[in-house]
Amino acid sequence: MRVCLLALLPGLLCAQSLQEFEKKVTEFTLPNGMRFLIIERHEAPVVSFHTYANVGSVDDPSGESGIAHMFEHMAFKGTPTIGSKNWPKEKAALAAIEVVYDKLDQEKNKGFRSDPKKIAELEAQVKDAIATADSFVEENEYDRIVESNGGVGMNAGTGEDSTNYFYSFPVNRIELWFYLESERFLHPVFREFYKERDVVREERRMRVESSPQGKLVEALLATAIEAHPYRVMPGGWASDIDNFRANEAELFYKKYYTAGNITIGIAGDVNPVEAKRMAEKYFGRIPKGPLPPMVRTVEPKQEGAKRVAVESPAQPFIAIAYKRPSQYSPDDAALDVLSEILSGGRTGLIYKDLVRDKKIALAAASQDTFPSGKYPALFLFYVVPSTGHSLEENEKALYAIIEHVKKDKVDEATIARVRIKLRAALIRKLDSNSGLASELCDYSANFGDWRKLFTQLQEYDKVTADDVQRVAKTYLIENTRTVAYTQAPAEGAAK
Amino acid sequence: MKGLFLAVLLAHGVFAQVVPSYKDLKYPPLPQVKVPEPTSFTLSNGMRVFLLEDHELPLIRGLALIHTGNLFDPPDKKGLSEFTAEVLRSGGTKAKTGDQIDEELENMAASVEAGMDETSASMSFSALKENGDTVLRVFKDVMTSPEFRQDKLDLAITQTRSAIARRNDDANAIPERELMRIIYGPTTPYGWQVEYEDLNHIHRDDVVKFYQRYYFPKNIMLAVYGDFKIAEMKEKLEKTFADWTVQQPDVPKFPEVTAKPAPGIYLAEKPDVTQTFFAMGELGGTLRDKDYAALQVAANILGQGFTSRLLSQIRTKLGYAYDISASWSANWDHPGTFRIEGSTKSQSTTETLEAARVELDKMRSAEVTPRELDEAKQGVLNSFVFNFDSPAKTLNRVMRYEYYGYPKDFLFQYQKAIAAVTRADVLRVAKERFLPENLAIVAVGNPKEFGKPLSALGKVNVLDLTIPEPKSETGPAPKSDPAAAERGRGMLKRAQQAMGGADKLAGVKDMTESAEMTMSPAAGGMKRKQQSRWAAPSFFRQEQVLPFGTVTAYSDGKTGWLSFPTVRPMDPAVLKQAQGEIFRVPVTLILSDRDASRTVSAAGPKSVEISTADGQSVRVEFDDATGLPIRQFYKEAAMGEVKETFSDWREVDGIKLPFKILMEQNEQKVGEVAISEIKLNTGIKPEELSKKPEPAKK
Repeated sequence: MRVCLLALLPGLLCAQSLQEFEKKVTEFTLPNGMRFLIIERHEAPVVSFHTYANVGSVDDPSGESGIAHMFEHMAFKGTPTIGSKNWPKEKAALAAIEVVYDKLDQEKNKGFRSDPKKIAELEAQVKDAIATADSFVEENEYDRIVESNGGVGMNAGTGEDSTNYFYSFPVNRIELWFYLESERFLHPVFREFYKERDVVREERRMRVESSPQGKLVEALLATAIEAHPYRVMPGGWASDIDNFRANEAELFYKKYYTAGNITIGIAGDVNPVEAKRMAEKYFGRIPKGPLPPMVRTVEPKQEGAKRVAVESPAQPFIAIAYKRPSQYSPDDAALDVLSEILSGGRTGLIYKDLVRDKKIALAAASQDTFPSGKYPALFLFYVVPSTGHSLEENEKALYAIIEHVKKDKVDEATIARVRIKLRAALIRKLDSNSGLASELCDYSANFGDWRKLFTQLQEYDKVTADDVQRVAKTYLIENTRTVAYTQAPAEGAAK
Repeated sequence: MKGLFLAVLLAHGVFAQVVPSYKDLKYPPLPQVKVPEPTSFTLSNGMRVFLLEDHELPLIRGLALIHTGNLFDPPDKKGLSEFTAEVLRSGGTKAKTGDQIDEELENMAASVEAGMDETSASMSFSALKENGDTVLRVFKDVMTSPEFRQDKLDLAITQTRSAIARRNDDANAIPERELMRIIYGPTTPYGWQVEYEDLNHIHRDDVVKFYQRYYFPKNIMLAVYGDFKIAEMKEKLEKTFADWTVQQPDVPKFPEVTAKPAPGIYLAEKPDVTQTFFAMGELGGTLRDKDYAALQVAANILGQGFTSRLLSQIRTKLGYAYDISASWSANWDHPGTFRIEGSTKSQSTTETLEAARVELDKMRSAEVTPRELDEAKQGVLNSFVFNFDSPAKTLNRVMRYEYYGYPKDFLFQYQKAIAAVTRADVLRVAKERFLPENLAIVAVGNPKEFGKPLSALGKVNVLDLTIPEPKSETGPAPKSDPAAAERGRGMLKRAQQAMGGADKLAGVKDMTESAEMTMSPAAGGMKRKQQSRWAAPSFFRQEQVLPFGTVTAYSDGKTGWLSFPTVRPMDPAVLKQAQGEIFRVPVTLILSDRDASRTVSAAGPKSVEISTADGQSVRVEFDDATGLPIRQFYKEAAMGEVKETFSDWREVDGIKLPFKILMEQNEQKVGEVAISEIKLNTGIKPEELSKKPEPAKK
């Protein structure tokens, strides 16, 4: 369609490049519904693995915010055969914790009628039961196996829409990965649950409570989004974390970690036939389960601008968000292009105006969809004012830019630049195994086909200056705006 | 018991396939790694080049190392090297401005960047293959003919000023920074940090000189990799850089590390966090250290990865921390550090530090287990192949080895050394090099929330994180020159005369000024009405009508408050501004020769410098013809140098005062104050000024 533009760039970027790339990709789905993407890249004898579980904090039940994240931590705790000194005894001890913990919860559930003495007694019993179970634990054995076998980059992350597990091995350890990964999703053991709960609570302190930006984002989401689970950060609320129960995490796992809800990417020096054989052998053991439900709550329409102030002795920040549709909207590509025009690189309009020319901001950027994309979300702006320049001044300057993109169409050169940048960004993603494994998983799980990673470029090519102006006018409107900013604590406020 | 186990399996519906334990898995040998061999040569101008073909993607990328570093910053111009690197790129070339280069590169989805580290500077580029030639030319132009335009240096300085103001906001970043200052010494290039004061001393000349001294062909190594043919690229580079032949004497050695152990417990208070962030450490070694491999293994067992002792004990067993680690971070050419770092909830601060100390002591008192040693070594050896999983890693390594004078096979020597480490080695190096008596411990948190007090660990030194204001705001005041002082007083006297006479001026006890302030479009374009009131000697109140409400500021010269949106104390930067306003109240400023707390000195034939011991200072310029002050210059930490130009002189009760003030900052107009009315001696009482506004109705 846009032959002239494509001609600016080499073959790899045209349709034929997708055909070229397609030769490297083997895709299959096991009878239980688990999907695999194998990407051959024989540059070095190493392989990267990526497990994309289609479950995230949006699926956290009420009162259990953060449970998806909690399970992610438990997925490193091992299985009956990994991490136990004596599984039968450990299993019984773990069950015993839950029995006393149930009694404790029952007593607590009496509310104001509960007996503090009894609670203290039961708490002591829980502590003892935990100590007994812990005595059977072979510490961190799962991690130990991975690390001592040369695994690198092992970690996991829980987002709003997905939970991802990933690391890389030397090529001769491929089967070990199949073993370990299938085991942990086949029969995870919720050992050391209550200690890990403290660790998760620490993580929240670090990422949210002790970070001025973390607090600001938390307030922004809770204000901008009224009903949809995007309003809570993936870490969850402190009091929910403090009261997690192992059986809650287990129920959650059973409901959401079904085979059909998992996509796996394997990229590197891998033989796809061998990989398929091992996938059948190891992951074929996972039973076919029902697909978990989608989120039911639909965010109601926002009726008017909102503002929220967060007290913080730190230097000021401001975040400005507008409602936008999900990544499945026909406007998604135009919103991507708009965001790139506003804040991509050193030619983005916001950077040029606020940071470079007016010098009123230390940093300023936009994000096309926040906090995630599967459901209607936010188009976000974030500004860090320069010393001596106020939030108000920056806010005003930002609105002027937004009005400008609504009023005047961007020129063709700007659109062309953005298209090329988006294409080049794709090429640069293709040079690492871990990047390939994660990107292909992501597109496959989110859009049903990994090819969207490439075909999306054609959608970008179709975006016109009119489209950019139209989406700016449609979505960047005062009525759906939420502004969150920091302010110094008031005089005499509690220290 | 067996039955229970089966039940679990049944619950998952597992009948058919029984998989063996991972212990039964057999691993085939790893295929031979093909390590690509870069081609290296020297251009005729002396620049070292390393090339590696990589045809996987249509990209060409390059990285240059320049033999310099921020260790060469002059002590009174800390940060100079970083400004050089930043403005090298942003300040454009002779032919193009930095902004033009931004557009040109982004139109090709390419990048050219420059950076500065401790012992090296870098420049890099990345281009799609078909733009390779164009981007290489831009890269060369930036490297060889930078223009260092003033506006971009100003921008970089403004940005750094903001970054300094924010440096204590993120508690997470503080412990390591402070630990480095303590370990290496806060007045050494290894330990110091850039302050506001430095920014006042850095000028374009300095940047140009730094560039000229270090950026010359013989002092640069350039690695290029990607989709090209070696022979063609060789020719292209030779041609591209042929006309760049500048020479400079060899670059001196980096300064020696002169650190002495500075053990102790240091606490920085931060009331707005729920966690304590901490770092403890001492001076370490280099990669050349004969025990480097053993130290690496020891540090890994203590605190690297999920299976380390610190993580097992403090995260997994105690649940105190999400994050805790130990590292032996060796440098190429000067001693690095041994560090334990992490964070924990405020309540368990002291316990966590104690637990970390216990683990450290254990490393020093008994051999690690055979399994620990084996797993730590296997971890390094089995993941060794990841050193070769991309051409860029190989190329970067080859170049670094040559840059720092390491043998080509250093990595393989290291591999052998790791394989040879014994339990006895680990214990020996832990005893020799992990010295608890040398540990400096830095904790940043809210001590009110600590469970056990930190003093349980020993004497606590409180770290003052206050960001120092510039010492002198307008350069060295020529105080010691009595003749200059005399000339200065003379100019003031003439100005007093011109404004209506010294006695009349001395009779002014209060002043009320109504004005409209217009910010220039570049500074936000805001317009606001304001009323300022002053009462002798130093009570000041200003009300500004802003779109979102009226903001009241009040200061008695020592403290102050701001009213928006609720009344709260001024933060130090704002208080400093208010003190500046009080200091510069025109009727008292011009009488500074009568104020013993102020120093007056001629700063030029038509200008006088007025300053106080507590750091206020202003330079006033006088009109030759009338003797009236026409301009004044002062510096503010928050804004840089401010220039005010006075005009529209009118008489109020027999005293001449300017009704128009033009404000400029860093040579740019930022705003204008148009005064509509000035009233003198209306009998303002200090209590009226300090009255706090009623809180706005919710």
